[in-house]
Amino acid sequence: MTTISQRAPSSEFRLLAVPLVLFLLVFLGFPAIVNLVYSVSEVSFETLRSPDISGFSNFAAVWNDSSFWQASWFSFRFGLLTAVLECSLGLFLAIFLSPLVERRSWLMAILMLPLMVAPALVGLMYRLVLHEFVGPVPYYLWTWFGASFSFLGPTSAFWTLTAVETLQWTPFAFLLFYMAYQAIPKEIIEASAMDGARYRHRLCYIELPLMAPTIVVALLIRFIDGFRVFDNVYVLTGSGPGGSTASLSIYIYEAFFKQGAIGKAVAASVILFVVSFAVLYGLNALAARRKGAR
Amino acid sequence: MINALRWIVFAIAALAMNFPILVTFSTSLKSARELSTNPGLWVYAPTLENYATVFTVSDRLNIFLYLMNSIAVAALGTLLAVALALPAAYAIARGKLGERTLLPLTINLRAVPLIIFAIPLYMMFQWLSLLDTRLGLGLILTIVNLPLALVILVNAIRDLPGELDEAALMDGATRFQILAKVIAPLCRPAIVTSLIFGFITAWNEFLFGLMLTTSKAVPITVGASFFFAASGGGVQWGVASAVMIVGALPPVLLGLIMYRQISGSMTAGAVKG
Repeated sequence: MTTISQRAPSSEFRLLAVPLVLFLLVFLGFPAIVNLVYSVSEVSFETLRSPDISGFSNFAAVWNDSSFWQASWFSFRFGLLTAVLECSLGLFLAIFLSPLVERRSWLMAILMLPLMVAPALVGLMYRLVLHEFVGPVPYYLWTWFGASFSFLGPTSAFWTLTAVETLQWTPFAFLLFYMAYQAIPKEIIEASAMDGARYRHRLCYIELPLMAPTIVVALLIRFIDGFRVFDNVYVLTGSGPGGSTASLSIYIYEAFFKQGAIGKAVAASVILFVVSFAVLYGLNALAARRKGAR
Repeated sequence: MINALRWIVFAIAALAMNFPILVTFSTSLKSARELSTNPGLWVYAPTLENYATVFTVSDRLNIFLYLMNSIAVAALGTLLAVALALPAAYAIARGKLGERTLLPLTINLRAVPLIIFAIPLYMMFQWLSLLDTRLGLGLILTIVNLPLALVILVNAIRDLPGELDEAALMDGATRFQILAKVIAPLCRPAIVTSLIFGFITAWNEFLFGLMLTTSKAVPITVGASFFFAASGGGVQWGVASAVMIVGALPPVLLGLIMYRQISGSMTAGAVKG
């Protein structure tokens, strides 16, 4: 017997979904089409409304632009490194601090605080923190070690930005892992203790495997957010020194707003669009298949 | 013994992760004179003069405008996102509609670099005269908020027993009535969570604020950076710090009050999405 809610979608349900679908069509569907048209057109701010279809020259321009590849490499490296650092630190903190946080949940609020501050503001804050005259970090380094260095110089800017991003978003990984850790059924832990399992073994063979799906999800989310980074990098280094810290988001922004290279910016957008949807679609298909196999 | 170590690790982690906030707060309390001699964390002669300066409106800098803009666009972006997501979530959860297309597509938005839509949206807004308006920025923030709102609400509705709907249908209620009279009241916690989370996200957004506004509708995240370029000469670090504290305060307070709901919704979006 089929219940009412399992029947084919009624027209009432369709009507309920209409506003969202319309909104998405206007604000995402239309821009996607504009992207596709403009990416194969010759277009400038003067000819914005009547683009000339001109083939793939925009894509060629992007493809041959070394700063596009530099920005892609920055985004990839930045996303990967910050994701791994944040998740390792977050995992350690979640497991090591859980006895404290279990009993005093306000400790969690303190650790979550950085997540509530706009990344753009955090970036601006680091301009102060690292400032050579008024910033405490160079000041303490001078007082205690008699030396400091240029945190945003050509060789160190990447690492400084990595630290900035990691320190702000480790709490996110911590939060996910803490929740997953708390969700492990207590009976399993007790049973393993009865069987005489040591803490180390319990951690490696029971707890971490149970948390594995969460770890994968956290790595993925943090990679994506690191890959598309804009706010904190933009306010902290712009894209300098010498374009060395331009992420793909910054590359597109600057191509459009600073160079007025609409075609190039739109073509880069389309490339990013296709790549991200291909990756996401693949991941969804993978997840669906695993779910089906279970 | 091991517990002492845990406390030490907690203290180091809390200090390191909150360090920029602490430094900014301490700097915001320093007078211009103290700032030039004491870059350390401790403030010897705390003063509120920087805050007084921040709240003094000049023809170039108007913090009240930026704060009002942020409140308006965040409120619009949050309310509209929930208003669009709730009926759709009901259709998805109960009508099995769009489970394979609408739901994953919207959730994936969370993971797409939104810059790829930025340029066409900029042009579209130019045609529609929505550039530098609160309405325009609020509409964009709706897009930013939609994925998480939809996930939270779909999960909440799925958790409600289907018998509720069937009983109401037997009594002759339409789906719209069920949504308004039965589902929405029962989902209130989830709705509140999506509103809070959306407000924080929207308040903290920077990229679209930077691109789509120039003067009238500038939100505080963008407006704060104006203070770094204020007045000839160098940056007034005390004033800039006070601006950042003021700009960070609303979402931080909201987050501290509601951290339980927020931590729950963050994980919901991550794990079930």
